[in-house]
Amino acid sequence: MLINNGFNEDKIQSPLRYIWSIFKSKSIAVVAMWVIVFLVLVSLFASWLVPHSPLLQDPNKMLLPPYWVDGGSIDHVLGTDDLGRDTLSRLFHGIQYTLGGALLITLFVSIIGMTIGAGAALTKGLKASVLHHLLDALLAIPSLLSALILITFFGPSYINCLFAIALSLLPQFIRASYLAIEQELNKQYIVALQLDGAAKTRLFKYGILPNILEPTITILNRLFTMAIIEIATLGFLGFGAQLPQTELGSLIANNMELIYLSPWLVAFPGLAIFITIIIVNVFAEGLRHAVIEGEE
Amino acid sequence: MLSFLIRRLNLLLITAFILTILAFAIDRTILIHHQTQPIVQQDYILQYFSYLWQIFSADLGHSALDQQPLLQRGLTFFASTLELCFVALLFSCIIAIPLGLLAGLFRNTKLDYAIMTVAIIGLALPVFWVGVMAVLLPSVWGDILPVDGNMSLVYDIPVVTGFLLIDTLFVTPQYGLFAFFDRVAHLILPAAVLSFFLIAEIVRLTRHSMTMVMRSNYIQTAYAKGFSRTKIVFKHALNNALPPIIPQLRLQLSTILSFAMTIEIVFNLNGIGTWLFNSLKTGDYHALPAGMLIITGFILMFSIAIEITMVIISPIRRGSLYADK
Repeated sequence: MLINNGFNEDKIQSPLRYIWSIFKSKSIAVVAMWVIVFLVLVSLFASWLVPHSPLLQDPNKMLLPPYWVDGGSIDHVLGTDDLGRDTLSRLFHGIQYTLGGALLITLFVSIIGMTIGAGAALTKGLKASVLHHLLDALLAIPSLLSALILITFFGPSYINCLFAIALSLLPQFIRASYLAIEQELNKQYIVALQLDGAAKTRLFKYGILPNILEPTITILNRLFTMAIIEIATLGFLGFGAQLPQTELGSLIANNMELIYLSPWLVAFPGLAIFITIIIVNVFAEGLRHAVIEGEE
Repeated sequence: MLSFLIRRLNLLLITAFILTILAFAIDRTILIHHQTQPIVQQDYILQYFSYLWQIFSADLGHSALDQQPLLQRGLTFFASTLELCFVALLFSCIIAIPLGLLAGLFRNTKLDYAIMTVAIIGLALPVFWVGVMAVLLPSVWGDILPVDGNMSLVYDIPVVTGFLLIDTLFVTPQYGLFAFFDRVAHLILPAAVLSFFLIAEIVRLTRHSMTMVMRSNYIQTAYAKGFSRTKIVFKHALNNALPPIIPQLRLQLSTILSFAMTIEIVFNLNGIGTWLFNSLKTGDYHALPAGMLIITGFILMFSIAIEITMVIISPIRRGSLYADK
């Protein structure tokens, strides 16, 4: 398309820029975005930010409550556990494992899943049908079960748990992206592109990809939420992060026997998971609404 | 109809075939990794067929722990998992469908935002954590609801169907209805925890479906004819908004099951989740392929059943009868 750059005010806003300008007007979503940025920065630089080392024990300050409760100390804002380790530092490191792992899984699964999903939707015949049946079979295995199977073979460790979760979430993502692309394929502008003789890659890049933005955000959001919950669940069951690692789910599991002495130790990691998921959901919801409004 | 049925069953067979291959692969890998049984030198294809024969003759081997047949044990445990899922589903449908319909009808109002906030909170709460917090409840509120196990140990219930809610009704001559109520009391808290997630899902699906229906042309026509809003909603919109939720929810079945398995472990219920978890912890790895076959088998059968029911009850879906023609 020819754009006359001589007159700046006539320049057409690009769709992404337009969506961004709508997104900026949604204050809750923007706040959520900054909180996500904060959380990611925290998880990246946790070792430098926290006041104490997460493994530093202090026999004089065991099982301190948070500082706003009687007997708490401002030195340990969220209290300490049964070995005198600072809860806040452990939480920050826990977010590093949980959030960082979930981001890695989302990246890995979305790239591979989108490629396979697009390949399945754009090809017909034997290849697509084989993939379809394989997906049907894999979809019938609950993700917890497939994670258990993989961990039985490769042994429990944090990295294996990430692999297992990625592999168990992959079929769901492929199916969801396949459905989104399939719906798009029946639309008239895609048929017009096909009649123009567009190659498959061009069809995908210019015809389909800009139009499946909204469903993609929904599935990515779902993928990320499930990834966090599952990392925490496997950590909780003892199949994920192993002891010196302070993953949020395994923090909950390790502090289970202290639940009557100091319920804070179980409550805070759960709240951290909860807040992370809710913030991401609010952000994704805002983004989705901005995309819908931008398309209309 | 017949060609549709054959096509569905054909799909079922192929998927089941792939799943048995997976189960076989897991079984053999366990054999080689952990050397639980002496390895027979034989062709893998022959081994696969003998494994398939074992599946058909309902014999998946015996547990290394208690020498019980794996399939029967697994099925009994799975029945109690299903019971939990079913009660939770019932519970959450009663709460979530009206909420979802309200949110869809009054879209973008304060009511809608309030309902959707509740739904997002339900989705974001990690299930096992809510479970742990619920286990704490008796220490806060006193012993109102039990939080451990399937039943009180004083009742001796013989296994007839595996569904304890039904089995307890068979022993009424002995215990009266007390066993039944005991089972119900044991189910309430786990089912409530599981329904957090389910409510969030169902509210979301119902709202979406209701919005789509209210935007469609036939509802606009009904408005143009001058029908009252209540009549439109109850007579036209509900009929068309509710059926599409079922296949959507079916896609979530494996997620629901995996949450149910987690909840069982937290509440120490005797379900398939606890069974697999304990078997793996103690090194009885042969429970794994058996458990996988039971769970996936159920999900497959259930999916096909749902699809056939959908074709029978929903006219829109009936189009797929003639998909290939």
